Amino acid sequence: MTDISFDEELDITDKQCPLTFVKAKVTLDELDEGEVLKIRLNDGEPRENVPRSLADEGHEILGLDPNGDGTYTLFVRKVGD
Amino acid sequence: MALTDEQLERYSRHIILKEIGAKGQKKLLNAKVLIIGAGGLGAPAAMYLAAAGVGTIGIADADVVDLSNLQRQIIHSTADIGKPKVESARETMNAMNPDVNVITYHDFVSASNVRELVRDYDFILDGTDNFPAKFLINDACVLEGKPFSHAGIIRFKGQLMTYVPGRGPCYRCVFKNPPPKDAVPTCKQAGVIGAMGGVIGSLQAMEAVKYITGVGELLTGWLLTYDAIKMEFHKVKLPADTHACPVCGDHPTILEPIDYEQAACDLKR
Amino acid sequence: MKITVSGVTKEVNDGLTLPDLIELENVETPQYVTVSVNEEFVEGEARETGRLKDGDVVEFLYFMGGGR
Repeated sequence: MTDISFDEELDITDKQCPLTFVKAKVTLDELDEGEVLKIRLNDGEPRENVPRSLADEGHEILGLDPNGDGTYTLFVRKVGD
Repeated sequence: MALTDEQLERYSRHIILKEIGAKGQKKLLNAKVLIIGAGGLGAPAAMYLAAAGVGTIGIADADVVDLSNLQRQIIHSTADIGKPKVESARETMNAMNPDVNVITYHDFVSASNVRELVRDYDFILDGTDNFPAKFLINDACVLEGKPFSHAGIIRFKGQLMTYVPGRGPCYRCVFKNPPPKDAVPTCKQAGVIGAMGGVIGSLQAMEAVKYITGVGELLTGWLLTYDAIKMEFHKVKLPADTHACPVCGDHPTILEPIDYEQAACDLKR
Repeated sequence: MKITVSGVTKEVNDGLTLPDLIELENVETPQYVTVSVNEEFVEGEARETGRLKDGDVVEFLYFMGGGR
């Protein structure tokens, strides 16, 4: 289990693609460069696509850990303005 | 102002785009675009801009919907025949997207009202069907310092250019003065393929969206022409020298918009 | 000599004038067409008598009045 301090928390387990990514992207938009967002997301499509899409936008993926209940916790650091 | 969850979903395909994002979508929601002419060009342009979430859309047209409009003016339906075009356009836009505040002007644009009309808006689309109106809109936008998209369609051809103050030639730099009435056919006399309004009007909407969000290169300094018969797009580089233009040049002689005489056939409605 | 007209490069006779080219290209309502050569508008006398040279890029800009 990654132990990372974070600045903001987001739960997208109730969202469907592409809103999973949209919600994560918009939340990151509001953060300052270097701040960390903790995201709870579902296994499957969100686990595969959300980290990849955020990395494509230039953000840094710090960790992706299973929670044991079918959900994952993603830590992402905002890069760029 | 944060976007609501409903807006995040409605505009998700925009927000996902790196070039637009939530920031660009908010710019669209705060933008004011005026469409002059709710016809072949204005109909698709208005629909795409409303769908895109442009927050305020002004639409000006003095006509009522006629059966012969429906071959191309897709914002109006058969049930709208006889209704002012601006009303029919407003209903369609608001049915698509209640976020949009539509302001209607059921009136002809003329030298006496055009400057005041464009003054309130960030970007203007010329969707008119006659040369006097096209020169009127050009001159008003130059005089008021407003960016606009000019377009024309006829038969199987269409063309457009974008004017942004200080960034290249205006319509009058290229076309000096309106041709004498009836010297050059308009689409009422010559016909026009319905989808042409869709192609060119959508490109005008694209220019408005790009201007508002600051994405990419605009069609300033270029005239884009489309020939559907040959299936060819051609981008013509326009001369950059605007010094001698009577309206946007260094020593303008046109200081107010001018009401030119309309072609006789265009007045019979 | 070779000139480019509306984006298409073609072989034409040396010393071809603009009026010759306008006839050759079947330009509609030529008196209301704006002509540019090498990204400069050609007006007045130059429009009536100007000779084209090898490598010239010619564009015809047409009035298009429809839209509704």
